[in-house]
This record gives sequence, structure tokens and C-alpha cells, in this order.
Amino acid sequence: MTFLGRDAIEVEALVTDRYLESLLAGHAPADAAGSGPDRGRRRSALALDESVRFAVHELGRDLPRYHPSFRFEERLALRLGELAATLRMPAAAGAEGSIIPLRGFDPSGDAFDGPDDEARRVGRPILIGSALTSAALSLAGVAWVAWRRSHPATSPMARAVRAVNAARPRLD
Amino acid sequence: MARPVFRKVRAAEESAPRLAHLDRDRALVEAARRDPTRFDALYRRYLAQVYSFAYYELGDHHAAEDATERTFLSALGNLHLFEERARPQDGHGASTFRVWLFRIARNAIANQRRAARRHPTAPLEAAAIVADPLDVEGDLVRREDGADAWRAVGRLPADRRRAVILRFVDEMSTAEIAGVMGRSEGAIRVLIHRALRSVARDLRGLRGRSR
Repeated sequence: MTFLGRDAIEVEALVTDRYLESLLAGHAPADAAGSGPDRGRRRSALALDESVRFAVHELGRDLPRYHPSFRFEERLALRLGELAATLRMPAAAGAEGSIIPLRGFDPSGDAFDGPDDEARRVGRPILIGSALTSAALSLAGVAWVAWRRSHPATSPMARAVRAVNAARPRLD
Repeated sequence: MARPVFRKVRAAEESAPRLAHLDRDRALVEAARRDPTRFDALYRRYLAQVYSFAYYELGDHHAAEDATERTFLSALGNLHLFEERARPQDGHGASTFRVWLFRIARNAIANQRRAARRHPTAPLEAAAIVADPLDVEGDLVRREDGADAWRAVGRLPADRRRAVILRFVDEMSTAEIAGVMGRSEGAIRVLIHRALRSVARDLRGLRGRSR
């Protein structure tokens, strides 16, 4: 294509573009020729190609915008909602875990009776699925704790610890 | 010698896309960044546009649904990477949320097309003709004139077809189309102008034959 030919197509494309932009903006197509003594000559040079006008009219009428099915829309909305919920959680290590109160060590539980029950003072939450887990999570852990409670250690150190613990004033 | 009626667009002007307006989705994007569940508003706003773009490109409802799904999941997952650049000085990198979303859609459609090449399905033209009693939208397309427009657009080279769909179906400005397609505004103007002339020639031929 010659230099002049390229220029001509660019000018025509610019005129088409202005026509389309004005349609898009919802205005009456702008008069690219403007005003002044040369207006008539400019108008003929800038007249929109009739075939382009025809195509714009046809495509504007016959190319509808489609909407997917309602079922698809809601299914995807649900998936996006699920993804959004996971994105909302903090990204810190262990944050994917959830706090599950263990019945045996729940201060309000019934597993251990008695006002001096040490288990009632174990009020810390236990994270499942993260780095922090308790030995009491496993059956072996529970069995070991139960055995340990029924068999107090007999070493002098253990006796001293129990004595100090017993002497500590009660908060409740 | 007659002076040119229309002055030639200088390179400096050409390099500044007319995306000077601010991103109209800014408030919704900010809300979705703070709370990802608020992405729903953006999803509802652009669902039909993205789906239509995919449908015209792929010619199959199921493939269009897949591409739409991938587009929105990817957009939500990568929303923190989106950077609004809608100021005039942003030049060719100018981008709004809609342009960014459609770039994702374009990639999703390209992937879908690659997958379809491995498992071929009916092309766009056939999609407009295949009868489906439950397909209300298809009824619209099967109207003779509508089908002619589909055929004419379907015959265009991929770049021209894409530009025409973004212009007439998604009602994008030249600057937005340039952003989505990664081309200059001048190139998009010429693409659309040539596409319209081809479509006019085709439609006149089709109508002339049927009369």
C-alpha cells in the first residue's frame, strides 16, 4: 500500500471511529467537518462511507448481548463466594485450623469433678490442624493423662510441686 | 495542491490513549479488596459482557461458560495484582478494571480454544444454525437477518472479529479495545473500519442472493 493510500484509510478509520464513539456516547453523530468557509469541501471529504453506515446499523441491531443461564450464574456466584471466604481468612501459619473445645478438658465439662480439679484450670484452646496440638488429642494421650492422675509421682520434686500448688490461694 | 482536510495524528497523541476518565469500578474494586465477598457486585456487573465475548469467540454455550468461570475465578484470586492506571500519563499501559478483566477473558478463551482444538466441537457458524428447542437465545440468532450478521462476523479474521465484538456487543471504546487487545488505538480504528466494510460487502451479497 502506498503512503497516500495508508493515509486515506487512516482518515476514513478516524471518521468511522468518531461516528461509532458518538453512537456509543448516545449522542447524535458529531459533524466532523466543523464550521467555517471550507465546511462544504471538508464535509464531502469526511462523509462516512455509506457501506460502513449500513454495517454499523446491521451489527448494532443483530448482534445481541447474551446472558448465561440463571443456574450457571448462581452456581458461579456460589463458587466465587466460597473462594472469597477462603481469601478473607488471614494467611498466617495455622490460620486454617479451627478451635475445637475438648470435652475432657473443657472447664465447663463433666469429665472431672471436684473443686480442686486441675483440669478446670486448663482453659487454653487447642488448635487442630496446625502446629499446636495437645498430647491429649490422641487416645494414648488421654489414657496417659488419666493414668498419671491416678498415679501421682512419688519423687521429692513432685511432692514439693504438689505442696506448693496446694498452698496457692484459690482464685474462685 | 490541496491541503489535507484531516491532519495526521501525531505519534505523541497516538501514544496517549483516551482512557483519561477514572475507572468507574474503583469503589467496587476497593471494596472487594478489603472484603473479597464484595466481589459479587463486579461479577454481576460484568457477567453478561464476559460471557457474550466468550460465546461469540467460541461459538458454544458450554465452552463460553467454562471460559467465563475461569475468568472470574482468576480475577478474584488475582485482584490484589490489579493496578488501576487510567490517567493520561499512563500511556499504553493504561488499564481499568474492565480492560484488565477482559484481558483475563481473552487468555481464558485462548486456552479454551486450544483445548477445543484437541477435542473439536461445532464452529460459530454452525452454532447459529443448530436447532435447540430450549435455546431461546438461539431463536433470536436463527432469525434470518441475525444469522446473516453472525455469518458475516464469523467470516472475519480473528483480530477484526474480536474488535467488532468488543465494540458492538460489549460497547467498548477504542481505547478500551486497544487495552484488551494490546494494540494501538490507530490499529484498532483501522481494524474496525476494515471489518465494517467487509461485513457490509458480505451482508449485501447474502441479502442479494436471498432475494
